[in-house]
Amino acid sequence: MILIHCPYCDEKRPEIEFANAGQAHIARPLDPSGQSDADWETYLFIRANPRGRHHERWRHIHGCGRFFNAVRDTVTDKFETTYKAGEPRR
Amino acid sequence: MSEALIRHEPVSDAPFVAEGVCISLAPPMQRHALRARNAEDLEGLLKVKIPRKIGASHGGIMCLGPDEWYFRSEVGTAIPTGEGLPVAITDISERSICLIVEGPRASEILMAGCPLDLDQFAVGQATRTIYETVEIIVMRAAEDRFHVEVWRSFSAWLWMAMTMAARH
Repeated sequence: MILIHCPYCDEKRPEIEFANAGQAHIARPLDPSGQSDADWETYLFIRANPRGRHHERWRHIHGCGRFFNAVRDTVTDKFETTYKAGEPRR
Repeated sequence: MSEALIRHEPVSDAPFVAEGVCISLAPPMQRHALRARNAEDLEGLLKVKIPRKIGASHGGIMCLGPDEWYFRSEVGTAIPTGEGLPVAITDISERSICLIVEGPRASEILMAGCPLDLDQFAVGQATRTIYETVEIIVMRAAEDRFHVEVWRSFSAWLWMAMTMAARH
């Protein structure tokens, strides 16, 4: 079982306690009604899906309950680092 | 004309005893979910010390998250509502029940379904985690005694799973 470091609990916890919550660092447009359909579609649906290093949101749902960001390699499934939500991209 | 309410528990009142472990239902108690950005607000209101570190517990209050605590107290204890303060105190007494797992095999029974290494768990440490597929809050009350808080609707299954692990 993979152990994931939760930046809030500050310890490594089993992956079964966590839930993936999609790509990280996607800011909601401040003025949604000013968006064109294409821009809005990009915001809602278009994701990077890289092969390799990927920034993701995870939630320690069966633990402290907090969302945080993680850098994971989508090929090896190894977590490079995890950091609190709101901190700059690593 | 009021009829007395009869308490109906989802698991057996009689303790389950197997080799090296006893699983029993704890008596009813009050439970409150405490939420606050600043623990000082809760301390001023409840007049108790609030643990700051996630996983720590003190005086019946377990710190589950950076702004979340789980407070268990005796039935009848007056808990202020915190009206007007930036805190949320919610009575969740009947949401869960508490199973007490004790004996030399207590940690082994829990680790049959819980991925944490509970032998490394300190006395007084508490955390939300998962048993197979059921969310639980586990607290080490003594060297060979654990308290397992589980939602009522999941408790019959958890009882079955833990007693089955204890039989092996």
